[in-house]
Amino acid sequence: MAPREVLDPSGQDAYRSGSLSAPFVSGLSITGASICVTMGNRVQSTISASDPLAAQIDELQYVLGEGPHWDALRSGKPVLTPDIRANVNTGWPMLFAALIELDLGALFSFPLRMGAVTVGVADLYRTTPGDLNEREHATAISLARATAPRALHVATALARDDEPVKPGLVAELRREVHQATGMILVQLNVDATEAFLRLKAYSFSSGISIQDIAKDVVQRRLNFRDLPE
Amino acid sequence: MSTVTRETRLNAAFVKLADTLTDDYDIVDLLHTLVEECTAIFDIQAGGLMLADSGGRLQLVASTSERADLVEIMQLNAGKGPCVDCFETGLPVAIADIAKSGERWADFRDEALKQGFRSIYATPLKLRGQTIGTLNLLSATVGELNARDALAAQALSDVATIGILQERLIKERGIVADQLQRALDSRVLIEQAKGVLSESASINVDEAFSAMRAYARGHNLRLHDVAEGIVGRTVTIVLHTSD
Repeated sequence: MAPREVLDPSGQDAYRSGSLSAPFVSGLSITGASICVTMGNRVQSTISASDPLAAQIDELQYVLGEGPHWDALRSGKPVLTPDIRANVNTGWPMLFAALIELDLGALFSFPLRMGAVTVGVADLYRTTPGDLNEREHATAISLARATAPRALHVATALARDDEPVKPGLVAELRREVHQATGMILVQLNVDATEAFLRLKAYSFSSGISIQDIAKDVVQRRLNFRDLPE
Repeated sequence: MSTVTRETRLNAAFVKLADTLTDDYDIVDLLHTLVEECTAIFDIQAGGLMLADSGGRLQLVASTSERADLVEIMQLNAGKGPCVDCFETGLPVAIADIAKSGERWADFRDEALKQGFRSIYATPLKLRGQTIGTLNLLSATVGELNARDALAAQALSDVATIGILQERLIKERGIVADQLQRALDSRVLIEQAKGVLSESASINVDEAFSAMRAYARGHNLRLHDVAEGIVGRTVTIVLHTSD
């Protein structure tokens, strides 16, 4: 089973610098939310959960290895289940059986995206069934995009045992990081999400910042084809 | 530039911007057109447009050149420069002589001077009293943008603001935030595509942008969609090298 870090298993949002799930909960007609970041090597880091039920839903999908969370991560597109009970024929039989026990109405998973890169997922739930209307759908996508760099920062800081800085102070990734992602995806013949994960992984293992590695890639001092697997 | 030529040019710029506001327009492409028209019409040598992200920080979304050195000035400006004042006050900021701007924005000042820019004019992009970004015009000569040009620059950026926000359709504040986020995300996608193109076609990232834009225009596609296709490897741009 792939390793996983959960910020606080009790489900209370222990993210020290503020809650990343809160804007989703307050901005949309949902009951709760959890935020997860992909760390590479099949490691996922759940960095925020608005309540114990959100944490439980997150845990279930992780343990069972199926669910809208995974589909959203893989496809890079939102996966919407406005009425869990109505969805009898899904690719997630075990999960739905479990969710019905929990008396859940609706589940919405929105990938956290930076351009074409999926860095994680926001899993939203509501105890009652029903769609997100068009306005809310647009809001959720916008929130997911705005949250992506911050979620990334928090997950990275936690992995390094650093104190994450206040969300307002998270610097946007410089252009070179995105350009390098594009170059790496060609060099390794992988997709954008995978390319970014490789960039992150190299940063973690080498101790060099993502920004500095990106600069080397863009200035052609470093080619990811030359790195060991 | 003679009065007749200038007025003609200005009118053409308005038409060009307004034309871009069709159903299929691309936000980033529109903003690039705006800064380019400004350099053609006014006595300036470079320009950059920033939009505020959800954290209230200015991000460079369009500039007259993709070259790293100009981008650097713009980013320094966005962090600590005249455009921050412009953004926070919602009023234009004119620095007639960057060399005399003191220590307030030392890094921006040094980089701008190093690259030969002597003055800057920052004008706000506003919607219903809310400042959503700034348009920054750089000149190689000392002096202020004349009043006529300042008014025209403001008018052009008002058209662009409409383009960003489709004002006639907006009812809620939330939509403003969404549209800004879309523009910022589009820029990220474009940067990723620049990287792909640069690596696969063996060109510089700054040349990659021109290639993408030319391709989009030539095939009547949105810049965003071309960028998406390039990153998804469904679009291949063949570059013709000229002798």
